[in-house]
Order: sequence, then structure tokens, then C-alpha cells
Amino acid sequence: MSDDLVISDLAAGYGHQSVLHDLTLRAQAGRLTAIIGPNGHGKTTLLRAISGLIAVRTGEIRLGADRISGLPAEAVVARGIVHVPQGDLLFPDMTVLENLRMGAFLPAAARQEKTVLEEVYTLLPKLRDRENQIARTLSGGERRMVGIGRGLMASGRVLMLDEPSLGLAPIVIEQIYEVIAGLRRAGRSILLVEENAMRAAAIADQVHLLDHGTLNWSGTGAELSGRPELLETYLGV
Amino acid sequence: MDVFFQILASGLTLGAVYAISTVGLALVFGAMNMLNMSHGALMALGGYMAWFTMTGLGLPPVAGMLVAVLVCAGVGVLIYLLIAGPMLRSEGFETRVFIATIGFGAMLESVILMAFGPQPKPQPLAVQGGLSVAQVHLPVQNLLILALAMVLMAALALLLQKSRIGRAIRATAQNRDAARLMGVRVGMVYALVLAISGGLAAVSGITVSSLSSLLPNMGGDPMLKAFIICVVAGLGRVPGSVVAALFIGLFEAVVQYTVGVRFSFASLLLLVIVVLIWKPQGVFGRHQGVRL
Amino acid sequence: MTAMRRDLLLCGLFACAALFWPMISDMRYSVTQTTFFFIWATVVVQWNLVFGIGGIFSLAQVAIFAIGAYVTAMLGYYLGTSMLLAMPAGAVAAVAASLVLGIACLRLYGPYVALLTICVSQVLYVLIVNDTDCFTNPPSGCMPLMGGVRGFSRFGDLGFRDWLGAGFYIGNYYVGLLLLTAAILFSIAIIHSPMGLAFRALRDNPVYAAARGVDRFRYQLWIFGLSAFFTGLSGAFYAVNTGVVGPVVFSFQHLLFLLSMIVIGGIGTVWGPVIGAAVLMLADEAMRELGDFRDIGMGLLLVACVVLMPRGLTGLFQDMARRFAKPADTEGAT
Ligand SMILES: Nc1ncnc2c1ncn2[C@@H]1O[C@H](COP(=O)(O)OP(=O)(O)O)[C@@H](O)[C@H]1O
Ligand SMILES: [Mg+2]
Repeated sequence: MSDDLVISDLAAGYGHQSVLHDLTLRAQAGRLTAIIGPNGHGKTTLLRAISGLIAVRTGEIRLGADRISGLPAEAVVARGIVHVPQGDLLFPDMTVLENLRMGAFLPAAARQEKTVLEEVYTLLPKLRDRENQIARTLSGGERRMVGIGRGLMASGRVLMLDEPSLGLAPIVIEQIYEVIAGLRRAGRSILLVEENAMRAAAIADQVHLLDHGTLNWSGTGAELSGRPELLETYLGV
Repeated sequence: MDVFFQILASGLTLGAVYAISTVGLALVFGAMNMLNMSHGALMALGGYMAWFTMTGLGLPPVAGMLVAVLVCAGVGVLIYLLIAGPMLRSEGFETRVFIATIGFGAMLESVILMAFGPQPKPQPLAVQGGLSVAQVHLPVQNLLILALAMVLMAALALLLQKSRIGRAIRATAQNRDAARLMGVRVGMVYALVLAISGGLAAVSGITVSSLSSLLPNMGGDPMLKAFIICVVAGLGRVPGSVVAALFIGLFEAVVQYTVGVRFSFASLLLLVIVVLIWKPQGVFGRHQGVRL
Repeated sequence: MTAMRRDLLLCGLFACAALFWPMISDMRYSVTQTTFFFIWATVVVQWNLVFGIGGIFSLAQVAIFAIGAYVTAMLGYYLGTSMLLAMPAGAVAAVAASLVLGIACLRLYGPYVALLTICVSQVLYVLIVNDTDCFTNPPSGCMPLMGGVRGFSRFGDLGFRDWLGAGFYIGNYYVGLLLLTAAILFSIAIIHSPMGLAFRALRDNPVYAAARGVDRFRYQLWIFGLSAFFTGLSGAFYAVNTGVVGPVVFSFQHLLFLLSMIVIGGIGTVWGPVIGAAVLMLADEAMRELGDFRDIGMGLLLVACVVLMPRGLTGLFQDMARRFAKPADTEGAT
């Protein structure tokens, strides 16, 4: 309860364009909450609004007792919300290790850098081998792993993952989802954005369906699997 | 043979002077895609501040250097607060900040002109005397400049590669949004980068004026040359620009000796055009502008 | 009424109003200053085509202007060519120079173009100022090929002195008006032409435009070359009008003054540069009394405009018009 991420009546957008409106949802602490929805309906925008990359126009975002909305991105991370962005956004001219260390940039995270780095290497062993490779030269799957690993380095309270399977080969997607399942078992609070509804339904405790910038349906993963008409209308499955 | 060493010595000195003025520009462009056209005026300000502290207030050289660096760093922060900061996220930032800093530089130059007058002044922060090594005459001042440049470059490299703040600067340069998501306060980074660049401009203004003299518009030519060097290296490549500065210094020394001082600027320009036709992104540049 | 019709009408109105100015203003000073306004406005209207429409961040316009002026003056001085011939020759030389420059720099990425073009004009300045070898030795003293620091004078005029006597400046006034009117008409034609539309497409969606076969380089070279004609011609006319051409036309202050005009007026519009030229000349006039503070004021004006009014005065007018128009629209709807 104390660490739930609560979004109420949120509106956000870019310039004259409004993307999200009247959006209310809760992501419970220690659970995996999935946001699904068709391409271009505002999933990424939601995560960017939460992490402070774009401004919240109206409404409120809270993490436990902290009010997050209105804070700049750098202050949001400091409150423990970690955003692993769509398309990774690595630091291309830094090595893998440097990228990971950037994840622990804030003093609180920097203090536990060594131990967390070991944990990340255990979870994503491939990164240890690639430690000194320049990020620009990594493959897509490796980049994704660096992105997730960099997010883990922040030791936050909530981990937000934006389309972790996007553009990867099926076998790599399996690997990534195994990692996410492991994080879930470890009791991490995770907010997962995923276009692939079946995948999200299979792993999530709670699923929210985003349609034209607002919440259309909520339920458990199992409930979603039992609603073929939803899947058909919104997700073309 | 003596001629060879003489050219080498003066070329390296020129290169060292250029390196100090160029890395500041390259750093700012690398971190924030900003061409700071008031860099030349900042150089003049630094030179005059050293003069004012030493000749006007009668303080020792260390104070002169310190005051000059601090004042110019402060003006760098001011440029961030008043000009670059407010337009940072808007469309056409690169062009607008270019034009705005031209205006700011012109303003600063006029202020200097009003405060100190149009007559040339000698730079007091300079060392007289020279060494003769095997028939090659080396002014002590030139050796000092060379040493100063090496120390500054090493310090900057250390700062960028090893320190926490250096990592923040590089991260911001490579991906601004990602840096913010890591908790980097990019506003602070930008202000700091402009402050560092301002401080470097002050040192560079002092070295340039110690080789000639102080004039309100003394920064114009060195700034353009620094930009030429940046272009040759590839905009925003900090280590590359040091190499390019030394190369251009040597090139200019050779041209001055063989063709004449009058054509040194023109031949530099010719060189840039050739470089750009050969490599449109500069020698060390890469197509997509990721730097530092 | 289409936008093009409106602009043509405005241009006609402007030219007609300007026809009568020398008759109502009996001060010679205000008439000659207006002639300078015509010259600077012509330069910035053309610069705007390159910068605002073509999207080429070139700072070479001042150099192109200066080439027009120098070629005209040198033809008159050395060969005694009539100014009626020398002026178009200056313009053609400017076009040739700009095409060479365009081929060298148009394939480069924006900031490189700005740096390269600014360097070219500074180098020309340095070469001229540092040239001390005498090319000829007239009674007035040594004359370097490009005039050196002193520049050229007494190379001829358009004959208004013989014809109109002391009122010759009025003849120059009308030539200037003709020049600016032609330059504005050319700018209107370009902005509303398929080429202008292609540029808008390039600006709004480069990938799509490239897919539609819009060849950016070719269009840019065209606009670069064509605009240089009027820029060079205004340089040529500047030479004739002032009777002196010196390296000051290359100077950085001059560049700054003209750049401020476009930026303050509004980049990429038909009337922005004209308005900007008028505003800057008036501001310059107003600050003449301020002496040393004038340069500071000019710099401050430029900085403040760029930071506070990104779309210049025309952008400000448009926003204001939209704000006033809105309530009226909703009234009409109900
Ligand atoms: N930087 C931006 N500027 C303007 N509009 C944007 C930007 N990013 C996304 N949009 C628009 O916002 C809407 C939602 O996009 P997004 O949140 O990325 O969707 P999703 O992540 O669900 O695919 C889309 O219509 C998109 O075009
Ligand atoms: Mg998305």
C-alpha cells in the first residue's frame, strides 16, 4: 500500500496535441502491472509523464506518500521511479560498464554500486563478458539487456519497462521475459508496457488496457485471456 | 635544420594557444549542440581582467589569472541562464543560439571597448626572456604556454573521463533524455560546461594577448580559427580538436614561413574546404552527431 | 484572395506610397536614409530566401553583397566602365561567386555551413585589408589591387548629378525603390512558386520530400544563385549610391546589423525582413545619440529578440491577430 504508484485524472501531451486524458490507475507495490494497448495510444507518453520527461497538465501522480507529478525527471528518479525507455536510449559512446554505472549515478545508488553490479551480472551474465565493449557496437538484444541492467543499477522502488520485447528475435524475447519473471518473483514493483497482449497477460498480476489515451479496461492477466473480443477489437489478436 | 626547429617551436606554441581556445568551444558544442559565438569576446574579457587585476589593482599574476578565469566562468553561466537555457528545448535551437551569442559577443566587446578604450595594451601576465638551445631561440613565454596547454588538456581529460561530473557531462552529450532518467541535472551540466568553456576562454585570451597585445576585438580572429579547427576535427570532438589544433598550428607556422603571414588565414580556410570536401563531418567526426 | 495576391497587392501599395515620399519629405537626410533602407531591405529579403525558405544557414550574404559592390567599383575605377554596365556585371560576378561557394558548402550539415561562410567573408576582409602591394600609383597615393584599407572612390555614378544637379539623390532614391520592389516581387514569386512549396515540404518532412524526388541540393543551389543576383545588384547600387566602397562592407558589425534585421522581422516570411530592416534602421537612428551605448543597445536588441520572440515581429503580429480573431470566429459560429 505504502509504495503503490497511483495515477489520478492524468492529462498530458505534446505541444498543442493532447495524448492522455482522464487517466486513473494504480500499480500495486510488489506486483507486476502491465499496460497494453494499440500502437500510438499513449503508453510511452504515460511512462514519460510519470518519469517527468514531459509535463503533467492536470491530475496527480503519487508514489506512496510522495507526490511525483510536477517534479523534473532527475527528481523523480531520486524518489525511486526508474524508467527503462523504449528503444533503450543507451549512451552510445560509453562502454557497457560505463552505461551500467550511469544507472547508479545518484549518490544513494552509487553507495551500493558494487553489490548491485554483481546482482545485475548474475541476472544478465552476458553483460559481464561485454563489459568493455562500446554500446554503439552491441546487438539489439544486448542493448536491451544493458538498458534493463542500467535501470536495475538505480535500485529504485518501481521499475518501468517500455516495450522490452520490441524489435527482438523470439529467442531473445524469451530470455528477456525470463529476466522479468525473475524480477517479479523477487517481489519487485514493475510497470510493464507491452504491445504484445498475450505476453503481458501471461506474466502480469494486473493488466490495464489503454485506448486513445484513457483507461478502457482493467483486470487480471487471466481475465484478459478470457475476453477474446477485447483482444480482437483493440489488439488485433 | 635550425629553421626546421624554429618552425616546429613556433608551430607548437600556436597549436597550444589554439588548443586552449578550441577545446572550450568543442566541449560546449559536444554537450549541447551550441556554437558559442561570444567565445572571442570572452577571450578578450579574460585578457583584460588579468590586465585590470595586475596593472589596475596591482595584484600578483596568480590573482590575475584567477580573477580572469572566475569572471569569464561567471559570464559563461550568465550565458546559460539568460540565453541558452530559455531556448534549449525549443525548435531551431542551434540557429537561434548561434545568432543570440553573436549579439551577446558584440555587446560584451562594446562594453570592453567602453571600459578600457581602443588603444592596445600590453598583457602583464607574461614572462620575458628566452632560452637558446642549439641555435634555436625559445621565448620562455612560449614554453610556458605549451606547458600550460598540456596541463589544462590533461586536467580536462581527467575531469571528463574519471570524475562523476565528467560522466554526467558525457552522458548528457550522448543522450540528454537518458541522462535525465539517470538523475543527471542537465541544466547544471550545461551551466557548468559553459563555465568551464568560459574559464578556458579566459586562459586562452591571456595567452593570445601575451603574444601580441590586448585589444577589445582581439578575440575575433582566434575564435574563427578555433572554429576552423573544430570543423577540421569534426564539431564537438574534444580530443580530436586538440590534435587538430596542434596540426593547424604547425601548418600555419609553415605557411607563415614559406608564403607569408598575410596568407596564413586564407590558406587555413582553403585547408578546411579541402577537408570538408574530403570528409564532410570533419576528420574525427561521425555521421550521427554523438560526441565527447 | 490567395496569399500570393495579397502579397502582390501589399507590394503594389508599398511601392506607390514610397513613390510620393521624396515629395512630402523635404529633408534630404530622410530621403537618403530611405535609399539605404531600400538597399538593406533588398539584401535581407534575399538573405531570407536563402535562410528562411531554403533552410541554408549561410552567413555569406554580406560577402556576396560586397563582391557586387567591389566588382562594380573596380570596373569603374580601372576600366572606366559605365555604371549602367558595371552594375549588372557586379551582380553577375556575385552570382558566380555564390555558385562556387554553394557547391563547396551546400552538402554540409547546418552549423558547418554557417562557420564556413562566415570564415569566407572574414578571409576576404583580411586579404583586402592586409594587401599593401601597390597595383597602380595614382596621384592620391599607392593603390592596391583591391583598394586596401582605403577602398575605392570616384569610380562613376548613374549620371543623376548632371541631370538633376543637387537633387541627384532623388534619382538614386527611385533606383533604390525599383531595386527593392523587384527584389520583393522576386521573393513573392519564389515563396509561392513550386520551388517555395518544395522547400516547405523539405522543411516539414525531409524524408517524405526526398521520397517524392525533391532534390534538396539542386533546389538549394538554385535559390542560392538566384538570390545572389539581387544581393550583388544591391551591392553594386550601394557602391554607386555612396560613391565609396571599402572593406567596411565585409565587417562583422555590418553582418550583425543585417542579420538582426531578418531575425527581428521574422525569418521565412515575405514581409518580416522588410519590417525588420525598417525597425532596425529606425532603432539605429534613435540610438545615434547614445554614442558608445549604441553598439551595446544593438546587441541587446538582437539577443532579446532571439530569446523572447523566436518568430520575430511578424510572428508576434500573427499571434496577436489570432488572439483577436478567435472571439470573432466564435461569434460568427453562434
Ligand atoms: N515527441 C512527440 N511529439 C509529438 N507527438 C508525439 C511525440 N511522441 C509521441 N507523440 C504522439 O503521441 C501519441 C502517443 O504516442 P506514444 O505514447 O508513443 O504511443 P505508444 O507508446 O502507445 O505507441 C501518438 O499519436 C504520437 O504520434
Ligand atoms: Mg511506445
